[in-house]
Amino acid sequence: MLNPRSRAIRFIELLLLTSAVVLFIVGAILGDTFFLRLATEALIFGGLAMSVDLLLGIVGLLSLGQALYFGFGAYLSAVVLKEISPSFLLAIGIVALASLVLGWVASFIALRSKGVYFALITFGLAQVAAKVVYNTRSLGASDGMMGVPILQIWTPFGSLDAGQPGTFFVITFLTIGGLYALLKYFLTTPMGSLWHAIRSNEDRLPYIGYKSKGPKQVAFVLAAVVASVSGALYPMLRGFVSPELMFFSVSGNAVVTVVLGGVGTLIGPILGSVLLTSFKSIIGTWTVHHHIVIGIIFVVIVVSAPKGLAGLLVRRFSKICSPEGGE
Amino acid sequence: MMDKVEFILKASNLCKRFGGLSAVDNVSFEVKRSGVTSIIGPNGAGKSTLFNLLSGSFMPDSGTVLIGECDITSMNSEARLSAGMARSFQITNLFFDLSVIDNLRIASQALEPHSRLFLPLSKSVIALERADELLEEFGLVEARNQLAGALSHGQQRRLEIAVTLATRPKLLLLDEPTQGMSQADTQETAELIKRLGLNITVLLIEHDVDLVMDLSGTVIVMAQGRKLAEGDPNQVRSNPLVQTAYFGEELA
Amino acid sequence: MLESLQYIYAPQIINGLSIGVAVILMALGLTIIFGLLDVINMSHGEFYAAGAFFSVTLVAMGVSFWVCLLLVPLLLVPIGFAMERLLIQKVFHYKDRHILTLLLTFGIAMVLEDSYKIIWGANPIKPSAPISGASEILGVMFPNYRLFLMGFGALLILSVWVLIYKTQLGAIVRAAAYDKDMSSSLGIPVMRVYALTFAFGVALAGLAGVLLAPIYSVFPTMGRDFILMAFSVVIVGGLGSIKGAVIAGILLTQLQSISSLYISPVWSDPLVFAVMVLVLMFKPTGLYGSMKNA
Repeated sequence: MLNPRSRAIRFIELLLLTSAVVLFIVGAILGDTFFLRLATEALIFGGLAMSVDLLLGIVGLLSLGQALYFGFGAYLSAVVLKEISPSFLLAIGIVALASLVLGWVASFIALRSKGVYFALITFGLAQVAAKVVYNTRSLGASDGMMGVPILQIWTPFGSLDAGQPGTFFVITFLTIGGLYALLKYFLTTPMGSLWHAIRSNEDRLPYIGYKSKGPKQVAFVLAAVVASVSGALYPMLRGFVSPELMFFSVSGNAVVTVVLGGVGTLIGPILGSVLLTSFKSIIGTWTVHHHIVIGIIFVVIVVSAPKGLAGLLVRRFSKICSPEGGE
Repeated sequence: MMDKVEFILKASNLCKRFGGLSAVDNVSFEVKRSGVTSIIGPNGAGKSTLFNLLSGSFMPDSGTVLIGECDITSMNSEARLSAGMARSFQITNLFFDLSVIDNLRIASQALEPHSRLFLPLSKSVIALERADELLEEFGLVEARNQLAGALSHGQQRRLEIAVTLATRPKLLLLDEPTQGMSQADTQETAELIKRLGLNITVLLIEHDVDLVMDLSGTVIVMAQGRKLAEGDPNQVRSNPLVQTAYFGEELA
Repeated sequence: MLESLQYIYAPQIINGLSIGVAVILMALGLTIIFGLLDVINMSHGEFYAAGAFFSVTLVAMGVSFWVCLLLVPLLLVPIGFAMERLLIQKVFHYKDRHILTLLLTFGIAMVLEDSYKIIWGANPIKPSAPISGASEILGVMFPNYRLFLMGFGALLILSVWVLIYKTQLGAIVRAAAYDKDMSSSLGIPVMRVYALTFAFGVALAGLAGVLLAPIYSVFPTMGRDFILMAFSVVIVGGLGSIKGAVIAGILLTQLQSISSLYISPVWSDPLVFAVMVLVLMFKPTGLYGSMKNA
């Protein structure tokens, strides 16, 4: 039997997978648009949250500015789709490459410091970038850019219409799922072990033969790519991009999502995003002030259940599993 | 590379000051290949600082450190590991959130080329085998999947040494390995160190003078940042300077 | 040359200084909370905003501005005390506490900010300056309120320094920060000291809010806008260093106000931020910081 943590992760994975399948089928039958699009948005922001979790829960670095990469991916994607060609693969490909470079450059600034300083630098970088974008005419300034064309996505089986909510939901699910699989792969490698080691006791690392800078940089760049590719999906769903995508509230919400879902699990943030997005949508029908409710929930979680929902599941599974020797 | 030289570690004129205090003052010594060498001295003698200079935690203000023919003075800790030197810590410095086996695997990873970092862990065969080997050798097989933070103190100290040995260093620096251990554990660890000394060179700092005299081939005594004496246990024990440093007066 | 000094630079310098003292007050609160409590207070900006909102409301109710200067920080003390005692101390014992307190205070900031929107609405409120008119000094006109800010602010900063370093109370606080267990065994109520220190820090932020309200106007996201500047000052000066906060505060606000002569104001925040990043890259503990000191 797997240890409780792996069981909890497996459980959430299955839960999300089955929910997605059910949603798709039911949605297709009923011709639903609203829930499919909501779920797609939840997945997109879940991808951003995953990037935060990679840094926070695996390596131990709190980034308060992942929205920088998310917004970057969104804007770049919009530009590619509008100006070059409305091709899904082209947009994703260009965003992936460009964010690789961006992340690599940014890492030289951000990784000079750790802990609190790192959080503040990433915060500052995003604030500055957001301000610059907000004031840049050619990017649409405060209005952002609109008129992103609806994609026809080429596959060997024929062309898919991304305008169909069901279709795009599946595409997003596959993309975010792909990113998740990529990150999970890394966790099975020694690089992933080094990340855990850094989080556990960074000081010891040089004495067993590794500088912590290298692995951190790899994680940082990877997180930038994951956030950017997730962001690239946004204009495909909504048809526009705006500077709000880089604002602190986006980075902040991502952090809340991670803590809600379960730090360090990667899938927890996706679950968290689904819950938070649904929650916002429900509360939003009553009041515009969902931030305060989310904020209160967040504070309660940090104080009483800092390991989030996944953590609660782990506890539950530990009780069931207990006759086993060791974890 | 190393076969021609008699000694494995050579410290020459090492100095380290902190503010106005001379923690290590012009210390020189040679450590021969194989066997156990111990550094002892009263509190504040500068043993820990010396260790930190040797292991690359601090850089000396002046002086050199050589491993064989290789000048490692300006090398950082990871580079010194590649040169064959590994150190353990007085205050247990493990990856407490990770399991025992994970601690050992990560510690052994440096045996593999860098490219293996991006392949699945199962491909790092050398590291995995080494980790299992260490698990057996240090009697930690039952604790394999326990978190390092959940082990008993004795087990943690053993794991600490095991982690240090993972990359098969030629020179092992042990910082107060029996710190806080019970009598039984101390005895076991002493046996372990003796066994290790047969194949590799062990340099250790210790407070337990009896233990040191029993274990070591060579003893170096420090006081107030300087080397006071160097020799085999008997020579050192009967050295009047040493007796004065420890006890403040000559013993009959 | 002298004329440009008079008419162009001097006003900017004075502007910078008048804002600088408020920034320093905020930074002092932040750095004291970190230096003594080891807590990064992401909600600090919201207490700055709270000060501004409270004072605007009280003034509208007929309370004099001068009374507000005293009253508002006092009102914030129990709030800060409660927050530290009931929430922050709950996460203090975890190994991850640096991140947890960061997250916790960040969550509280979220709640506070939205509360302001609910209570006072999203539109900016522009209170009038309590001292009107301007005075002429050496041929240049300076708004009286700004002159007051500089003088009063300098006085406050000096008082804080005296309080921390020259009084019994300050010694107790520093002892509790330095060694919690030892102080506790000496009879110092450590938990209460922590909570009071936190309350003091956020009260300073609130005071800054009261002082700057007539200049910057008051709106729900004002805290978040200002916090980057406050953190930049604290980081450049060195986390935990009062001297650092003062010097960095002056430097960065001067940089901001003089640079506004040459570049559009949009770029002055990025400029300050760039300076902070550079300092962090080359002197990670700031100008006067070391790993643990106040």
